[in-house]
Amino acid sequence: MILFDGKTYESSEQDRLLTELEKKIPEILAKDQLSPEVVIDAVDKLRIDTMAGKFDHLLTEFPKDIADSYKEQAATLLSREHLHKKLETELGVTEEYVTDPLKGFAQIRVKKVPLGVLFHISAGNMDFLPAYSLAEGLLTGNINILKLPSADNGLSLKLIMQLIEYRPELKDYIYVFDTASTDIQGMRKMAELSNAVSVWGSDMAIEAVRGLAPTGVKIIEWGQKLGFCYISKLSEVEDAEGELDGLAKHIATTKQLLCSSCQVIYIDTEDENELRTFAESFLPRLEKAANENATEEIGIRARDTLSSYTRRLKAYLGNEEVNENVLRGRGVSLILSKDSELELSPMMCNVLIKPLPRANISKVLYQSRYHLQTAGLICPKEDRAGLTETFTRGGLIRVTKGADMSAYFPGECHDGEYALSRYMRIVNVEE
Amino acid sequence: MKLRRKLFGSKDPYDCTKSELFLGACKENFNHLITHCDDYKKIADGLGVHSADDISKPEDIPVIPTLLMKQHDFRSGRYMVMATSSGTSGHASHIRFEFGALIAALKMSLRVTRYHGILSMRPCRYIVMGYKPHRSNKTAVAKTAYLTTFLAPAISRKFILKHTSEGYKPDFDSIVNALRKYEKKKAPVRFMGFPSYTFFLFRILEERGLSFQLPKGSKIMLGGGWKQFYREAADKETFYKLAKKTLGIEEENIVEFYGAVEHPILYTACPAHHFHVPVYSNIVIRDPDTLEPIENGRTGLVNLISPLCKATPILSVMTDDLGILHDGTTCPCGVKSPYLEIIGRVAPDDIKTCAAGAADILQGVKV
Repeated sequence: MILFDGKTYESSEQDRLLTELEKKIPEILAKDQLSPEVVIDAVDKLRIDTMAGKFDHLLTEFPKDIADSYKEQAATLLSREHLHKKLETELGVTEEYVTDPLKGFAQIRVKKVPLGVLFHISAGNMDFLPAYSLAEGLLTGNINILKLPSADNGLSLKLIMQLIEYRPELKDYIYVFDTASTDIQGMRKMAELSNAVSVWGSDMAIEAVRGLAPTGVKIIEWGQKLGFCYISKLSEVEDAEGELDGLAKHIATTKQLLCSSCQVIYIDTEDENELRTFAESFLPRLEKAANENATEEIGIRARDTLSSYTRRLKAYLGNEEVNENVLRGRGVSLILSKDSELELSPMMCNVLIKPLPRANISKVLYQSRYHLQTAGLICPKEDRAGLTETFTRGGLIRVTKGADMSAYFPGECHDGEYALSRYMRIVNVEE
Repeated sequence: MKLRRKLFGSKDPYDCTKSELFLGACKENFNHLITHCDDYKKIADGLGVHSADDISKPEDIPVIPTLLMKQHDFRSGRYMVMATSSGTSGHASHIRFEFGALIAALKMSLRVTRYHGILSMRPCRYIVMGYKPHRSNKTAVAKTAYLTTFLAPAISRKFILKHTSEGYKPDFDSIVNALRKYEKKKAPVRFMGFPSYTFFLFRILEERGLSFQLPKGSKIMLGGGWKQFYREAADKETFYKLAKKTLGIEEENIVEFYGAVEHPILYTACPAHHFHVPVYSNIVIRDPDTLEPIENGRTGLVNLISPLCKATPILSVMTDDLGILHDGTTCPCGVKSPYLEIIGRVAPDDIKTCAAGAADILQGVKV
């Protein structure tokens, strides 16, 4: 399904519509800039209707607790207040201004304007991400071409159509395509129509986009990141049990699928026995958390079990040495490792446990510099500031509690930058 | 493969006294696999099953998910025929069969179909609710649907999915025309294929107010999955009623099959619509969280076991179906073995079954 000019079309019409879009874009760019207030109004209406239960039927495919927490988050995040705050935090001064006079130089008028056309290639691992990415493009006044992830279930399109229903003037700025990721020609055409490509995805996805985008198009990458939790001097940590339970819950609820999810638990030690002791005590906690947060839906549980089992068998097929150091529990496992490399775990509550003495932190961070984002930190109070400093200096973007590794903090940046400011440019006009 | 020959030579396809022979044939197959397939041996070792002595029950045999077979090509010896599972997402598994496996499969098919009265010498007309075999389509579904048209001599064969320049398209109108003609003839008509298309045909006939009284002995044979019906809530009762109303075919003449390329055992529903486990296979239902075997009556992942094939390690495979194994001792049909009920599939990832693929094509058809 394609959404073009507020109307839906069959996917087969993609070529024709893209040609039409090429003619339309200059006409739209010539019009007055889209006001963020229009977007905020539409999003706020969406929030009100969501709260009133108007979209409950679309949420039935999510387990009830998850649907409830989405609604709860929507209540805050989609509100006028929050969106205004977001604009302010991420864009700073949006009013145009004139620079101070400096002797011997002319003054200029400075203002922020949209990039023009944004092509969003969204990822499928987070619900609502495609719609969210599009809303950011709209808030900054851009024309948006959105390629839906193949895993999208139609929810994104419904929400986006709803926005147009609230404020029909948005239709000029929204073009949604369900192009397959294998349709290189189609995606190249979309990139060629754009000023910037905003791409969410794995290293491979980003590499592919770099390959197909024309030189000169700005590539805004939101690449795959690897989260980890660092645990130091656990015996001296106040409420260590609560901290560990929080971490276990984080792992169980995100299933390690997000960039911020914990893939590796690092223990501040060189002693393998200490790793094992930790793993033995953490296993029942993780098992309990996984059990408590297991979805009721047998189909999802079975799929996850089946895919972790398949990954386990694949590891046996690999030529690498089979890791004997695996502690297995009901639906979870802890994999003990001797090295300190930051790497992707098998996910789905299968966590890597590795040694990382403090002295080696910077070295490991440098080796993983392209994939750093979130570090959970469990350590005594007096060590917290020092370790945080080491992490942020080493390239981490977020340092949180173990429990909050994937939490959303209003006002936060993404991968070290504010999305909205990446979607705008600054223009200077001589006075 | 002495024990396999003996097992597949069993006179009664539902003989419940052969469990020792079955386990023996499995161990014989396991011994072949670990000596002829390095990858299988790696997995067996990884799972701690180093020799046949570590297997005391069929459930102890290393289980290979069909998901893995779609990603990794296993070979364990010479083969004669290769079948490909339907992989709409670019992943398909290749299952190879050696001569001995084909002979065993043939013996099984003859015994089972004869037992269920499907094997007949009376010529009939076939309407295949599936693909017309074409060189661009190597899926086993197309082949098996075609093969079933040999269970009784064919006067003619019609296919509902035609290969066009734009891929496979359903062609209901020519089926309706054919039905008009067949109704007046003597030879029975046999439908074979996906339940979704068959159901769809019923609905078209009903909407157009058409009903036929097909010749006596006409049958509807279904394979390829009931799964999406559970979601669409079009239950089997409605299906049976529509079959009677639109084609004049009684419930007892609706025969269902279940099988998978990775487990080519012919499961045929008894008159009570139960898929009893034949002597050639075992089914273990596994816990959706731990993969431990669970007792009859509970829902879990379906693990299918059979020593049919040597050339591919499909001794024990895990499908992505969810099912229940029921105690069969009280089934009115007289077969005592447990029977399998398919409840649905695991949540979609990127794999689609052939039945789901059929549903996709249907969405493009406006009624």
